[in-house]
This record gives sequence, structure tokens and C-alpha cells, in this order.
Amino acid sequence: MYNKSQKYKQVMYPRVYVTGIGIISATGNGTEETLDSFFNLRTGIGKLSLFRSTHAGIPVAEVKYNNTILAGHAGIYEHVNTFTRNTLLALVASEQAVNNSGWTDTQEKHTGMVWATTVGGMDFNEQYYRSLLESDQHKDIIGTLDSADCTEKVAARFNIRHQVTTISTACSSSANAIMLGARLIRTNRLQRVLVGGSDSLTRFTLNGFNALEILSPTGCRPFDMNRNGLTIGEGAAALILESEETAEPDRIICELRGYANVNEAFHATASTVDGFGALLAMEKALESARLKPLEISYINAHGTGTEINDLSEGRAIEKLFGNHIPPVSSTKAFTGHTLGAAGAMEAIFSALALKYQILLPGLNFEAQMPELSFKPCLKADPYPLNHVVSNSFGFGGSNTTLILSKA
Amino acid sequence: MISPQSTCNATGFPAEVVESVADRLICIEPDYREHINPIQLRRMPRILRMGLASAQICLNRANNVSPDAIIVGTGLGCLDNLEKFLLEVLDHDEHVTSVLPFINSTHNAVAAQIAMLLRNHSYNITYCHRGFSFESALQDALMLIEEKQAKNVLMGGIDECTDDFMKLHGYLGYWKKPLSNLRLLADKSSGTIAGEGSAFFIISSESSPDLPKAVIEGVHTFLAPKPFDENNVAQEIAQFLQKAGTDRQEVDAVILGLNGDAVYDRSYWALRNNYFAGHTEFMYYKHLCGEYYTAGAFALWLGSVVLENQNIPDKTRLTRKSSRPIRYLLLYNHFRNTEHSLILLKNGQF
Repeated sequence: MYNKSQKYKQVMYPRVYVTGIGIISATGNGTEETLDSFFNLRTGIGKLSLFRSTHAGIPVAEVKYNNTILAGHAGIYEHVNTFTRNTLLALVASEQAVNNSGWTDTQEKHTGMVWATTVGGMDFNEQYYRSLLESDQHKDIIGTLDSADCTEKVAARFNIRHQVTTISTACSSSANAIMLGARLIRTNRLQRVLVGGSDSLTRFTLNGFNALEILSPTGCRPFDMNRNGLTIGEGAAALILESEETAEPDRIICELRGYANVNEAFHATASTVDGFGALLAMEKALESARLKPLEISYINAHGTGTEINDLSEGRAIEKLFGNHIPPVSSTKAFTGHTLGAAGAMEAIFSALALKYQILLPGLNFEAQMPELSFKPCLKADPYPLNHVVSNSFGFGGSNTTLILSKA
Repeated sequence: MISPQSTCNATGFPAEVVESVADRLICIEPDYREHINPIQLRRMPRILRMGLASAQICLNRANNVSPDAIIVGTGLGCLDNLEKFLLEVLDHDEHVTSVLPFINSTHNAVAAQIAMLLRNHSYNITYCHRGFSFESALQDALMLIEEKQAKNVLMGGIDECTDDFMKLHGYLGYWKKPLSNLRLLADKSSGTIAGEGSAFFIISSESSPDLPKAVIEGVHTFLAPKPFDENNVAQEIAQFLQKAGTDRQEVDAVILGLNGDAVYDRSYWALRNNYFAGHTEFMYYKHLCGEYYTAGAFALWLGSVVLENQNIPDKTRLTRKSSRPIRYLLLYNHFRNTEHSLILLKNGQF
């Protein structure tokens, strides 16, 4: 077996642990509901009900609460309609994560926050932008339209004033927020950091992806021969990362062991067919974690269900793991592709897999891709897990891999 | 650096300062054909043009070093394209005619396009957090060097002002009535003058004889406490300087983010009158570039020019001339008293 103590002698940085998680997605509010969906293979994908849209026939993965109910879960009872859906989702997930970690006093540890989003307060843009161009009637919400409003509202809730920032790198955003959070701890700038990401469903993204002709008319089918596109989802995911120097041992869920971000520098929206960027991100993350491919027990793939992503990512996995490909799955058939929240959501799923020693299932799978030698795992079966790879790839060639390990 | 001043091709502080009577300062843009392939240029949004050209200018000056990371800070991102696609969705019953504005609206479009132009596969990140955007990018660059993940980081701050942004934030009282930018601090009303710019830097772990000699000693960001407390700013500065191994006595000059807003400028004046009272020289710059989320990038450029030339340009001087050499230079900025940031520079020669 792999000898931890020997390897770690070379590491000069403190280890980074996950000590709290919080999640809200179409597949459940909180980790219990989420796990229940995985065990019972219950997808969150369904019909659009949040807003009227010309494209309402396209399946989406909605969080099942309207904003009023969501506000209740977020602990907001006044001026509810000045909170974007994005911020409400972020507050719900962050509150769960903070409570889960046993965090009571922000000032007792050097604490920061790194959040991620792709379109931030876009739902309010859609509701109010036209009228704002005509009059100042809704000027109260102007401050909520950008990507930082959500971050500052969450930071204010938990009284975090230092090292607060927002990353926006398309669909890898929150994986990058986790990576930065870990680096802030490793370089001794912080002892504890709230990281994660959120995005709500919007007409803007629905139309954007629709115009790119990459939305699935049936609901996404990652790694299936007949896959026909991605399904947009929404939600928020928050993690508490802590330095080994301050983390309480009984709060540790898993270790954040390695990470890497690379840029494919190939195309604004598509990835290479041979998976160059995906391979490079996984290789560099393994290097950062000081692990070999053989030591990886499971891959939570980006697996959007588009023609090109799954082929590109699948090929990268084959190149890296050769004849020893570990179990692979994409959880996006449960949650949809939650854009700015996706990386953090899947890091949480990886953490849950490690904690409960289970594989995470894929869904909607029928036939293996002829180009690939593997098919996704399909049940939440018990499985011995030591190290998990979680991939997040985004527009602009932004490819990030995180590696989470059993604590 | 592309700014409302003639800074594109200048190596130092421009000889003439541009005066405009307006509520917003607009960038003086270069002939982009000198920097970007004309075929690509045709459909390229303005912010990408500004970003690519200023990154290119920066790299040329640094002997075309191949960067180990590309980091961009932008408060608004590609707002112009975002607005365009949004209105297309809203006004045409969701029958969009072109997907290009959607692709170009992604906040990381500038950093991604630079990577594509350079065929650069390294670390590539974009920060979008109002008045922290640039400073977060700078801190990331410093961390990469500290972690020995990079020797040369291409790092920049970029924001573009749009008509809609002016209009909406005008409702909130962000802007003054049109006035001469050179009279910005003399005007006692609230609000400021809007601006924009794109500045790129090579943050390097190694000094080079033909490059500017400013050493970045540290960067620090904090959200203002509510209710606001001026003493808190002084405390943050004291701790920051202490961590950098220095103190206020050693700070020779401070570049303040004064923007002429009678309300929000108070914390700058308080710092000058109390914490740094005495020997320190003070500078300001927002009359040259306007107020925008990544104005800190203009200040960093100005700071490095001052340190290199050991001379404070008269048009940026708030206090009378002293003969003291400038070793430590502090940049203090905040955006509407919410996101506060500090950058400490040191002259590398002495």
C-alpha cells in the first residue's frame, strides 16, 4: 500500500482539509437529500417552471423552490425581492457549510472567502434591465446585477472582511475558487476559507447555450453513444477549507490534496477532440498531489453530455490511465450543468464519495461510446476510495482538475 | 497601458496631460492593426481589442517573455457584449440572431483570448470582484511566484465604460455633472468622473536590468467595517506595513485613490491628516484615468514610473516637492468605501 508518511515528508505546505459542505441543487437541498437522490437514481432534470421562455420545451434542472421559499431557507425575511436568486442559493449553501464545519466565531481564525459565478445577478438583469434603461424606478437593485454582489452579501452574513474575492472563469469558476482557497491556506494567508460557487437558471444562459446548439432535447446523457447535449441546471455549493494546523480532527471530511488549472488555448467554446487540455489539467493536478494515476480510485468527470466534451475528456482519461481506468461517472444527469456552481458541487460529491466510500452513479446511460474503452458507473455502490479526481472545464479553454483524498 | 491619457506608446509619464470636460474619461486607443491580426480584429469587441493590444505592448517591452501564467482582473468583464446579448434575448422574444455576443460576454474572454493568441497553456484566471478585481489578480501573481509555480506572470486590470453603465449608476449618484478632469478635486459636490483602462504588467521573480525596478512588497484587501471607522483603515495599514517589515515612518510617498467625491474621499484625507501626517508625499491619479473598478492598475503603473524615475509628476502631486528619495511607496484605494486595497512598492535599487 501507499505510504503516506514517506511521501508527505517532502511537502512544505500545511495540508488543506474540507471541514464543512453545503449544497442546494435540483437533486436536493442539503447532503442528505443529495445522497438519497444518488442512491435512488433520482434525477433533478425536468420541465422549466421558474420563468416563461420560448424554449420552455428544453429540459432544465431547477431547484424546486421559488424565491420566497428559498429566501426562508436562506434566513431572509425582509426585502426579499432585493436578493437575486443567485444570492439566495449561495446563502442557503453557505449557511449549511458553515454550520457543518462547527464555525461559530469568524474572528477566531484567519478567515476569508472565495466565491464563483458566471452570470451573477442575471435574473434581475432580465427582470429590470429594460425598465432601468427608461427610468430609475428600480434603482435599488442596480447593485445586485454584477458578479460580486452575491459574494459580498454572503461575506457580510458571516462577517468575513479579509481575503474576499470572486472568480469568473465560465464553467470551471468554482473549481478555481476552491483551488485559490487552498492556496491561500498553503501560503499561510488564511487558516480557514469559505469557497464555492452559485448560478441560477436564466434566460440569458438558456438562450446562449441554445444558440450554440449544445442543449439536450431529452436531458443530458453523459458518456452515452447517443448523447445529445448538455442540460442547464442551477444551484450553489459551499465548502469550508481549513489548514491542518487549525482544523478540528472530528470535523475533517476529506483532504483537498491537489489541483491544477491550465488553458487549452484552442477555441472560445469547444475543446480539442484529443482532450489535450483535460489531459494536461489531470497530469498537473496529479503532480501537485504527488500521486500516480494508479492511485486514483474514482473520476468525477466534467461529463456534460455534449458530443465533443465527453469524447475529448474520455480520450484524455484513456491516455492518462491506459489499461487501468478507475470507475468514471458524471453526476450532471442529476444536477444538470450548474455552470459557476458545478466545480464546487462536484467537489462536494467527491467528498461525499470519500466519506461514505461509495461510487457516484451516472444516469440516462444506454450504450457505450464506440470511441472509448470504458462506460460510466451506474450505481452508488460501496467502493474503497482513497483519491478522487474531479474535473471542471469551461469556455475560454479553462480546464481545472481537483484531487480530493481520504483523510 | 491603454488609458484616457497618452500612455499607449509612452515609456514614462506622458509630457502632456489630456484635459476633457465630461462626466467620463474615454481611453485613447492605439491603431489596433499594429498589435492584432486585422482578420481577427474585424469582429472583435472593444474590450478584447484593448486587452489584447495592451497585453501585447506589455510583452513586447518585456522582450516577449513567455508568461508562466495569465491573470486578469475586471470588475465589469465584457459588459458591452453582455448587454448586447441580454437585450437580444429580451427584445426578440428569445430568438437570438448571433451567438457571438454570448461567447464574448464571458468574463474570462480577455484572459482566454490572450492565451489563444500566445498559444499559452499555463494557469489562466479571471477575477471579477468590483474594487478587488485587480488587487486579487495581483495577489494571485505574487502567490504563484512564492509557490515557485511561475517566474513571469502576465497580469492586468481592464474595464470598459458603457453608456448603460453610466446611466444606471448615474441613478445612484455615482457621477458628477460634466466638468474638467483637471478640476476633479476642486469640485466639492458628491460623485466622481467615470473612467476606464487596460493595463498589463509582467510580475517577475527575477529583476532585469532593462525593466522597471519596482518591487511589489505586498498587497492587501479588506471590506470596510459597517459602520465605517476611519481608525480601522489606519489599523489595517499598520498591520500590512508591519508584515512587510516596515512602518509608516519609512513610507516616502502614498498614492491616494481620491476621486473628488466629497463623501467618499474622507477616508483618504483622514489618512493624510492623521496617520501619515508629517513627512510623507501624497499623490493622486483619478483625474487622469477616471474612477473604475480596476483603477488600481493605473495606480500601479504610476507607482512603478515614479519609483523608476525617482520623480513625482507635477500633475499627480498633492503636496509640495521634497528632495527625499522614494524608497517605499504605498497605494491606497477604495471603491465607494466598500472594497479597500493596499499595495506596497519598493525601489529595488536601494
